[in-house]
Amino acid sequence: MMAEVGSSSVFVAFVISLYTLIASMVGGKSGRGELVRSAYNGAIAVCILLSIASGSLIYELLIRDFSLKYVASNTSRDLSTIYTITAFWAGQAGSLLLWSWILSIYMTLVVVQNRGKSRELMPYVIGTLAAISTFFIYIVGFVESPFERLAGVVSDGRGLNPLLQNPYMAIHPLCLYLGYVGVSVPFAFGMGALISGRLGDEWIRNSRKWTILAWTFLGTGLLLGARWAYLELGWGGYWAWDPVENAALMPWLTGTAFLHSVMIQEKKGMLKKWNMSLIIITFFLAILGTFITRSGIISSVHSFAQSDIGSYFLAFIGFVLIFSFVMFMMRLDNLRSENRFDSILSRESAFLFNNLAFLGAAFSVFVGTIFPIVSEALRGEKILVGPPYFNRVNVPMGLILILLMGVGPLISWRRASRENLVKNFLYPGIIGAIVGIVLFILGIRGVSALISFGLCAFVGATIFTEFYRGTRVRARRGEYHVVALMHLIRRNRRRYGGYIVHIGVILIVIGITASSAFVVQKEATLKRGQSMRVGRYGLRFEGIKQYRDDVKDITAATLTLYDRGDKPIDVLTSKKVLYRYEGNREIDNQTEVALRSTARDDIYVIFVNFDGKGSANFRVLINPMVSWIWAGGLVLVLGALVIMWPSGRERTEQSEARYSVKIPQHTSTAKI
Amino acid sequence: MSRGRIKFITGISVIVIALTYLVYGGVRDTMVYYLTVGELKGRVPSVYRDKVRVSGTVVAGSIKRGMDGSLEFKITDGKQSIDVHYRGVVPDIFRDNVEAVVEGLYTPQNVFQANVLLAKCPTKYDPANPSNKGKST
Repeated sequence: MMAEVGSSSVFVAFVISLYTLIASMVGGKSGRGELVRSAYNGAIAVCILLSIASGSLIYELLIRDFSLKYVASNTSRDLSTIYTITAFWAGQAGSLLLWSWILSIYMTLVVVQNRGKSRELMPYVIGTLAAISTFFIYIVGFVESPFERLAGVVSDGRGLNPLLQNPYMAIHPLCLYLGYVGVSVPFAFGMGALISGRLGDEWIRNSRKWTILAWTFLGTGLLLGARWAYLELGWGGYWAWDPVENAALMPWLTGTAFLHSVMIQEKKGMLKKWNMSLIIITFFLAILGTFITRSGIISSVHSFAQSDIGSYFLAFIGFVLIFSFVMFMMRLDNLRSENRFDSILSRESAFLFNNLAFLGAAFSVFVGTIFPIVSEALRGEKILVGPPYFNRVNVPMGLILILLMGVGPLISWRRASRENLVKNFLYPGIIGAIVGIVLFILGIRGVSALISFGLCAFVGATIFTEFYRGTRVRARRGEYHVVALMHLIRRNRRRYGGYIVHIGVILIVIGITASSAFVVQKEATLKRGQSMRVGRYGLRFEGIKQYRDDVKDITAATLTLYDRGDKPIDVLTSKKVLYRYEGNREIDNQTEVALRSTARDDIYVIFVNFDGKGSANFRVLINPMVSWIWAGGLVLVLGALVIMWPSGRERTEQSEARYSVKIPQHTSTAKI
Repeated sequence: MSRGRIKFITGISVIVIALTYLVYGGVRDTMVYYLTVGELKGRVPSVYRDKVRVSGTVVAGSIKRGMDGSLEFKITDGKQSIDVHYRGVVPDIFRDNVEAVVEGLYTPQNVFQANVLLAKCPTKYDPANPSNKGKST
């Protein structure tokens, strides 16, 4: 019953979404306000209908209505409630419904936020969002419906892949989708600007927070996916340059470039063409990412569902590219720069080079990812490029970017003077060099690792200087230091929030550098009671225990962990799990690694094999500083929250825009 | 053209040239051919020199797991088959009749020395290939 409610909601949502698209475009063109207003209401109606559809799907999953193909394919009676709900996005049809639903929520928020604002721009923004949503709802309604019935009756479902039964996997796709879909909003603003011809920084200012929101979700999604792979795939790493990982990384890279270059347009009226192209590319890559993940065109570890929706996506991608290119060319004259680059030693040029490096990295990842398809099409041979390719290109690009992360925010606009350079970069430069030299003396020889750590120290020092100077100025006026720091951040959230994000990035870079350069790996077959040494740890195999719980049979190997002085510090258990339920035959077993994580290193034990005589084979890895990556992720999110938090000044701006009343600046600051 | 302009053009060219070099060199040095068992045999003997990636179905009953984590099995394309020797992390879904992908060197003894093992799920319902546990990079 609920399935019919769901599928009919999707059909009606499709019709209304199409109406919203036409009404807002026509309304915008003809200037008929009532048509635009009805389009806005249409957007809200789409959101309500898709919420009903999503609710019905969750309901069907929860009552385990196995007459639905989607429910039967992705759940089973032995699946816990929480993973039954997250099965919503475990398969293709559900994921696409989720995509449409998130988009409709975003669209509604944009409507509510901007009602009565930017009357010339907004109809086209909503029109663009409605166009995207119409496409996705069409796929959900007519091509891949999660509400499709099965012909026969099944008594139990196929079950959820054990690899997906993990808290990180439950939220990672959600987070990634919030990011992918979020990119649609700044893209729609860009298209709105192109169609309406209002090409100032209005579209950028109004979509700024959306860009940061999408960027944060994409970044968080990437990190959660990396953590999931690290915990669950059990090969000891967190990133393998797999096509699906790359698919999410590419829009993040170009999105990061966009996030930075829009500041130049806001401040100097430059890089207009560049920004417009960047947001088009980012949106293209986001859709391509969904396509790669969902179509299975490039074989990957993460493609848990594939089908033949590929041709629809290709058509849509083609349409998006052609349409945006034509609009772009038509407006080329209006996208002229208002300023020009004066000196290579200036903030403008630091941002320009930052953009080139991000774009270069994205391009190289793109080449590596589509290489098999292109080589097969051109030469009839499938050729792959491996992780060494990606590392070789992206490590130098990454190092350039870290350097620019230190330089960009502090160097002066237009032309940096000698004093400006010395004042801001002398001490941080010395600190960076000292860190590099000390690490070299301590025995670290990897060139890129040394440069990376040195640069991280340099950037850390520049950020510290910024916070220190700002706080000191306020503290001299009689504020306590902590209070002064809080006020400093609050007065310029965008700037200091950005610095906090940069600190998060530095932590992540330190973690990536250490864990990729200094892994220790060892493999051994141990009899019960035997020990092995790995790096600064010792491990003694205590034996195997076999037991069963409600749904699975478990073989657990227990090891005692010793430190350098042979003092026991922990007990580790690595498991081999066999799911008893027969419906899930192909994917019924799973190896759970044992992991002990500290700030210094992770010890990661994979239980490879065992025999009946009490011997077991283990592969043990010591991964240095991996936890810094996850910690950096938290700092990054914190920084993003600081940036996005609504500030007093913005509320003033909003009320100004709405009521055209100018509130004097001092009253608004007093309110903070 | 002003001196500032020249500096910009130089800077941008350096980045673009470096990038092109890295992409080109990277592709040239790390590329591997992705072949079926039949194609692999068709390329003897030149194929002995290069690292290749081969996919095929795991022959039922051919899997031998050693206690030291070593693994021996046969993969086939339906007509011909090769022996694979591998040591490392084995994907959880690796078993008889799945499609396996191996990367490594093929030797004249019809033994493929693999250092990467991936496995794909042959599901009829909703095709999925949820594993690269063998990735050892």
